[in-house]
Amino acid sequence: MKKQLILGLAVAAGLATGFGLDPAQAQKKSLVIGMGSADAGKLDPHLASTTPDKGLLNYIFNGLVRVKPGQASPDFIEPDLAESWTTNANGTEWTFKIRSGVQCHHGYGPFSAEDAAYSIKRASNKATSSYSGDFAAVDKVEAVDGSTLKITLKNPVAGFLGYVANINGGNMVCKKAAEEMGENFGKKPIGTGPFQFAEYQPQQFVKLTANKQYFRGAPVLEDITYRYIPADSSRDLAFQSGELDMIYGKQDQTWVDRTSKLPGVKVKAMEPGELSALYLNITSKPLDDIRVRQAIAHAIDRKAIVQFKGAGSSREAVSVVPSGYLGTDEKSPLYAYDVNKAKALLAEAGYPNGVTVKTIHTTLTGMQTFIEAVQAQLKKANINLEIELVEHATFHAQIRKGLSPIVHYQAARFPVADVYLTQFYDSASNIGTSTAITNFTFCNVADTEIRAARVEMDATKQKALWKTAQEKLVTNVCGIPVYEQLQLWAWKDNLDLGYELNGSLNLSPPVTEKTKFTK
Amino acid sequence: MTAFLIRRLGFAVITLFAVLTLVFVLVRIVPGDPAQVILGDQASREAIEALRERLGLNLPLYHQYVVFVWGALGGDWGTSMMTGRPVIQEVLNVLPWTLELTFLSLLIGVVIGVPLGVAAAVRRNRFTDYAARIGSLLGLSFPPFVSALLLLLAFSIGLHWFPVISAKSGSLSAWVESITLPAINLGLITAAYITRVTRSAMLEVLQEDYVRTARAKGVPWSVVVWRHALRNALIPVITIIGLYLGILIGNSVLTEIVFSRPGLGKLIVGALNQRDYTMLQGMMVIYTLVVVLVNLATDIAYGIADPRVKFK
Repeated sequence: MKKQLILGLAVAAGLATGFGLDPAQAQKKSLVIGMGSADAGKLDPHLASTTPDKGLLNYIFNGLVRVKPGQASPDFIEPDLAESWTTNANGTEWTFKIRSGVQCHHGYGPFSAEDAAYSIKRASNKATSSYSGDFAAVDKVEAVDGSTLKITLKNPVAGFLGYVANINGGNMVCKKAAEEMGENFGKKPIGTGPFQFAEYQPQQFVKLTANKQYFRGAPVLEDITYRYIPADSSRDLAFQSGELDMIYGKQDQTWVDRTSKLPGVKVKAMEPGELSALYLNITSKPLDDIRVRQAIAHAIDRKAIVQFKGAGSSREAVSVVPSGYLGTDEKSPLYAYDVNKAKALLAEAGYPNGVTVKTIHTTLTGMQTFIEAVQAQLKKANINLEIELVEHATFHAQIRKGLSPIVHYQAARFPVADVYLTQFYDSASNIGTSTAITNFTFCNVADTEIRAARVEMDATKQKALWKTAQEKLVTNVCGIPVYEQLQLWAWKDNLDLGYELNGSLNLSPPVTEKTKFTK
Repeated sequence: MTAFLIRRLGFAVITLFAVLTLVFVLVRIVPGDPAQVILGDQASREAIEALRERLGLNLPLYHQYVVFVWGALGGDWGTSMMTGRPVIQEVLNVLPWTLELTFLSLLIGVVIGVPLGVAAAVRRNRFTDYAARIGSLLGLSFPPFVSALLLLLAFSIGLHWFPVISAKSGSLSAWVESITLPAINLGLITAAYITRVTRSAMLEVLQEDYVRTARAKGVPWSVVVWRHALRNALIPVITIIGLYLGILIGNSVLTEIVFSRPGLGKLIVGALNQRDYTMLQGMMVIYTLVVVLVNLATDIAYGIADPRVKFK
């Protein structure tokens, strides 16, 4: 029976001359995207926390402001639902002028300052939002009139506009729809974006249709089918066979090399880079000795890791905050690779024969290959890294219980240094506390600077504070930043995105009203 | 027969209840917090605690259990913690996909496996037998996701006969297009099992006195094989089909993933990864129900295949 298969394969090999463009595809108006997940999760923008869900919602919703399509830096913030905005001198009062003539999807009426106020209140409420923490400083939100929104903050917030941009809690929902649907809002999300929700088929796809009334003009594309295809190889094959126009890539260099060779295909490694760093619990033995931590830092060869991960899809880390963020110290004093120094430091700390440290680690492939490479590097300096592999949700639970003295975490955050520093290094975020987020290090050396920078209105002083914070964290080896993994995507070259793609905060390329097929 | 059915159904209820309790406890023993998964890794402890409270996860275990059993008895399986959609609806959405794949691949397995097994037994230690044995060994040892990828490479990428994404419905031709490769993939593996069982059962039966007697009486060989021998060899084959049907529903997950088809396997793996307690509970009950029903059907099939079987 397998004979038939072999025969089929032989024929296939003969026919595998690559995928040519089908003339029937002329003036294609339907875009099919292949996403690497098994199914849709929560399609409510204030609850969605996974890359696949955020990517899709990006096509449906707007923020008060947005990061220009194709960019991933707050330097590119531009008006979205708000035409313009002003702020008082100390940055605690923000007034937004809401654009007129914007319509909510599916006939839910015009979008007003009232909707915007409702949306921010909804995103600040921990019962309806995963991002309530982002709005902790919000004191009052009010619609002064139909087109004026006023937000009063308890204290200034670094990069506040980022929180009302088109990501996470900044996505603007329409009040009438959200109130009417309540908890069911995620089953039919209503926004104001270029595409509106049309259909959901479990484990198959979500279909969006063009919002003809979109305020920037009716989209060229008629619809988007967002397909859930968890197997990397199946996504690749469906892309090759022409069933998909754009795919989320397997996050490794071999995929880039292989996919780049396909005819008529564009491959992009885009921003933001997810920073892979090791977080050392400085209260646990033997990591409480700074010499042991320095030894580990000296024993890791960032250059070799990037070679291993692929130069086209990754780059060396520059600081404890990913590169390119507002406030990143692009030249922080990272420890240089020096095995002998590492050994000497260990000997000095009383471990002339080496030391054993432990990490609980996820089985996610990309992350696992990294920690194994690190393990091999540390071995050369007589540091024995014991890796206990557990499945991903278990990993997240156990590291938050403080069971892993070394935690490998890979993440991108909103690109303002404060977010990364607060979540990973402010002692208020220590795991096990009521305000815990992801400080696994129990480090508090930079608390003063992190907190001062958060409310500092002078941009130069703020940057200086962030720089000091990063220097302290690096030299005290609370975290060891190693490399940054870029986001890999591929699409057919007959698809014109309508903008230059350098990055996307939602980790998937925006599809805008201008996106079209050229043939 | 009726008494037999009632008793078996009674056992089924007990089995279901035991599984229900076991699953309830097991999913909670496994580390991992659904609230954390739902809110994502940037959520604060406070937000997570608030969600745990809303989901009822902060209640004492016995309280949660009573709530769950009470709901389940009333036919309310709760809503998925992840998606907020009712568990029963999530399951019913994909159940038809799993059932059609399972039964079709079973059919392929029987149609190929039984004749092949018989032929191998009859021509023992000759070419047909060797070919069948090697073929079935290959089928058994081949990981289903590898064979699935090979099928896709050959027939979707090479020959363009079938789509890579096997999740089309609507017209009959679209359905045939989408089910063929997945069904063949699972069907061939099933055929491998059935071939081996049929062969060994037939070999045993062919040694029996009544077969020799029938031949001595001058009954044509084909009638001896197909009417006398096969009928008697069917019991173990039915057993394996019954057992395999349960396994098949579980095994289909890899096939579902590679062929991008919806299905129960994918649903349960997703629920497990996300610690979706309510979903896992509901799904395990449904799995148990299916296995119990298949076993019952198998028992009834014994009686049809062999009138000597008494239902006690």
